[in-house]
Amino acid sequence: MKQTSNTFLDNAHVALQDADKAQRRDIMALFTPLVRNAAMESFGHFEALRAHVKQVKQHSLEHLDHYLARFEQEALHNGNHVHFAADGEQMNSIVLEICQQHSARHVAKGKSMVTEETGLNDYLKRAGIRVMETDLGEYIIQQAGETPSHIVGPALHKSAAEVRDLFLAKHDLGDRELAETSDMVREAREVLREHFLKAEVGIIGANALIAENGYSMLVTNEGNGDLCANLPNVLIVCTTIDRVLPRAEDATATLRLLVRSATGQAQTCYTSFYSGPRREQDIDGPLETHIVLLDNRRSEILASDYKEMLQCIRCGACLNHCPIYAGVGGHAYGWVYPGPMGSILTPLLTSLEQSNALPNACTTCGRCAEVCPADIPLPDLLRDLRHEESERKLSPARWRLGLQLHAWLACHPRLYRALTGLGIFILYLLGRRKGSFKHLPLAAGWTSERDFPAPAGKTFMQQYAAQQRADKTREHKQATPVKRAPKPGRVSGRGTPVGRGSSGRTSAGRTSAGRIEPSMGEGWQHEAGPASPGTIRDSGKISGGSKDSGGKAAAKKPKAHPGGPRGKKPRRRKDHD
Amino acid sequence: MTDSARSRILDSIRQASRRADDDTIERELQALGSAPTADLPAPELSTAFLANVLKNQGSIDCVANRSGVVKALAEYLYRHFRSHRLVAGNDPNLAAMPWREAGVLPRFGSVEPGEPVTLSYALLGVAEIGAIVTLTGKANPAANNLLSEHHIVVVDSTRLVRDMEAAWKIIATESARTGRPRGINFIAGPSSTADIEGKLVYGAHGPRNWHVIMMGDLPATTVAEAHALAGR
Ligand code: SF4
Repeated sequence: MKQTSNTFLDNAHVALQDADKAQRRDIMALFTPLVRNAAMESFGHFEALRAHVKQVKQHSLEHLDHYLARFEQEALHNGNHVHFAADGEQMNSIVLEICQQHSARHVAKGKSMVTEETGLNDYLKRAGIRVMETDLGEYIIQQAGETPSHIVGPALHKSAAEVRDLFLAKHDLGDRELAETSDMVREAREVLREHFLKAEVGIIGANALIAENGYSMLVTNEGNGDLCANLPNVLIVCTTIDRVLPRAEDATATLRLLVRSATGQAQTCYTSFYSGPRREQDIDGPLETHIVLLDNRRSEILASDYKEMLQCIRCGACLNHCPIYAGVGGHAYGWVYPGPMGSILTPLLTSLEQSNALPNACTTCGRCAEVCPADIPLPDLLRDLRHEESERKLSPARWRLGLQLHAWLACHPRLYRALTGLGIFILYLLGRRKGSFKHLPLAAGWTSERDFPAPAGKTFMQQYAAQQRADKTREHKQATPVKRAPKPGRVSGRGTPVGRGSSGRTSAGRTSAGRIEPSMGEGWQHEAGPASPGTIRDSGKISGGSKDSGGKAAAKKPKAHPGGPRGKKPRRRKDHD
Repeated sequence: MTDSARSRILDSIRQASRRADDDTIERELQALGSAPTADLPAPELSTAFLANVLKNQGSIDCVANRSGVVKALAEYLYRHFRSHRLVAGNDPNLAAMPWREAGVLPRFGSVEPGEPVTLSYALLGVAEIGAIVTLTGKANPAANNLLSEHHIVVVDSTRLVRDMEAAWKIIATESARTGRPRGINFIAGPSSTADIEGKLVYGAHGPRNWHVIMMGDLPATTVAEAHALAGR
């Protein structure tokens, strides 16, 4: 798949022009969080389950050498052929070789983001093999010649009318109406049933691999993956090394989170565990089974400071809760994985050079981190990628200059306060009559879409200092103890953890590199004072920080990024938060 | 190619992994404890199971014994197809049903194209998720779960477990006795899709209808309670 992540802004602009699609995205963005929240509420133990699954996943990743070796051993024992593929090209050629060994002409394929990542379909097609996607969403976009816009619902960007026209054009079935969605589903079922029965090879992905018994877990609602796994004579499971979990119960514990996060169900219709080829007594099932384990830089990510990303269970909740994703849709991200998880995975699996626009596709609202069932600190990872961009001079020079200026200013608190005070006062004078600005220099990005409210005259710090003075005078007069105002460090919105409790990570530094007028934004929005640790971090210049938790994050070293030139050894972070 | 890839991948994973011996790893894993499970909608397993089956868009019947099973089957088949034909796996539990009592004519084996109804005998029913568990094999060919229009499953009420953790314990014992089955299938509802505009449609690739017949000595109110709990 041709990557266009670097033209994210242009892609987004194009996506926003299609009012119909934009409206459908808005509806999905309202609807999908509702069903997820309802499911989590009725489950009632989301936090406890998330904490448990996270610990299990971290344990598995910490001992991946142990568990992967165990999985391989058990899978071989179960009668599988196990292959390792260093990159997408290797995975594709392994799969092709298996198909050719069996003279396969038809392949039935279940939904697999991994094979989207490797471009398997095109690879097999070039070798003359007919690959049919069998998940309805994947089938629709395959017929339309498109790519998935969502990791769970790949065709959700298409309207029913578009699907109807597509089916009428692609299925030579004579005159028919296809008036209802159910008619289209029935037609796809009939067309694909034939293909299932014809296919010599079935290809599926895996939601988890179980080390203790060598099974792979497959989760679907349609049952298409199970048909791929059971009907053709050869089965190939295309998956990645990071899917391994220690025990069967760990896979089903993950499932509890996955289904609720992905579709708001309490359970998927088909949750299947496959161990290998047909047993002696069996009357159906594949005669030969292969498991292809793809690395494609995951072992580098494991050794880097981005390893938390390997905890991802591909539920899509972060996409559903992301205002950027809702605004521009999945295709704007220009590669396989969209939304917050995609904005991190894409630079890691390809390179930051090829995708440096993506880490900036974030409002730092933190919703993704709140709902992520794998408890991945997505906004923090995005911020760290932005930091790297800045360090490696991948972001536009004027952004970096703006951030450097801000960083410098933030390190001179008196000057910072004086200038923000002056700026706010001038804005107050200029805007007090109308109450807002239609145009502002250096803030065209804001004012082109909405008015900028005029400030109230004084910065937060000025008001805070005045309040303190007033309190003191009152105290003095009354000569009785009064309740003290909160300490400055606590008032700051910047040092607040992003809904992440005790993780120690903070939202500090979440200033988007896209904001090139940081001092004005700071002064007006929070007025929490200078030396915002995040701002310092984004500047790429200063690694110190104040003593609060934000300062701790600021002191943290930048993450080693495996998306650089191949072979470059990622640095390991020495300090831990 | 894959041999060298294997050693390279395993090498770099080894470097990134934390060194520990097998016992330490096992001890660390045990120390993580177990996952919280979903609360059951009712204290009795059978009511909770049936309520969750209904929530998963299955339909239910509750009968006392094997004669009840064949009678319920006959009624179901007549209601939907005006026939008494179905396909069942070679499961001794199904072979022992008093088929003649209700005039049902099962064909034992794997479903063929055009045969609309299949019958399975569940290894387990899992109350937490309203799912039945089957193991692939002669007794239950995988195609029978997937290729019919109506999939009917008989669940013995003594084979109900609370949650998936309990299910795994029994599956592990079963596997140790008979060898690992090729496939373990948790089925919780008719096949469905919401891939077109998010609209839910049943009968995507697999069965459109999923019917569970619970067999056991259960209070007469069980079915009504399950319906009330599921709100349907
Ligand atoms: S990052 Fe979290 S929310 Fe996003 S897909 Fe992965 S597990 Fe789901």
